Amino acid sequence: MRVNTTRFGRIDVDAADVLHFPSGLPGLEDCREWALLADSDNDALGWLQSVSRGDVALAVVSPRRFVPDYQVRIPRSELAPLALDDMRQAQVVVVVGTSGTALTLNLKAPIVINLEARTGRQVVASGDLPLRHELSTKRQPLKQSA
Amino acid sequence: MLVLSRQRDESIMIGDNIVVTIVDIRGDKVRLGINAPAEIPVHRQEVYEAIQRENQRAARLEPGDTQGISRLAGRGNDGPARPPEPPRR
Repeated sequence: MRVNTTRFGRIDVDAADVLHFPSGLPGLEDCREWALLADSDNDALGWLQSVSRGDVALAVVSPRRFVPDYQVRIPRSELAPLALDDMRQAQVVVVVGTSGTALTLNLKAPIVINLEARTGRQVVASGDLPLRHELSTKRQPLKQSA
Repeated sequence: MLVLSRQRDESIMIGDNIVVTIVDIRGDKVRLGINAPAEIPVHRQEVYEAIQRENQRAARLEPGDTQGISRLAGRGNDGPARPPEPPRR
């Protein structure tokens, strides 16, 4: 199917590649079908493009590439609608936002995709995780040895 | 809105399978116990609303805003993120 997007122009999405989000996403409840696009300039970045609304797309990344110690605990009730038989079928991405001065990651509400069934859901993870985890533009200083 | 008065240890039922119990009342704080089927997520409203606002904000991000994000990424752990841990509760 053909989607006219505001960011990427006209794109063709194979029906078999469409990801179904039965509940939409919080705040974007009407967007239930999405396509995951690779970003041509950034290998670490993908775009979750709404199929029904060409103006709606979310930048997403694999959280562990940016936050290696990210541990996510997801209540059973949040995962049940995805009907994951095997957690290896799951891909977890987080939404990129901005604080105004820095790019941020929404670590509180990761998006879990069932790769087999092509279904997805944004879940609310347990524990005290930030909605806006700022990505530092500074290199981590090397540890000094004594 | 339906308004019901309840005392401590009393409950209300929503549908056939959701039970909300008043566990404790102290001053202006009420503790609720919620018994619902595993497939029904329960959230504090302010958390859910914050996620709604954050998604709507994030949906305004343009490709130009994310330039250079790859430079912030670590090396290892490429490809799909590791799956979430199984629930412990």
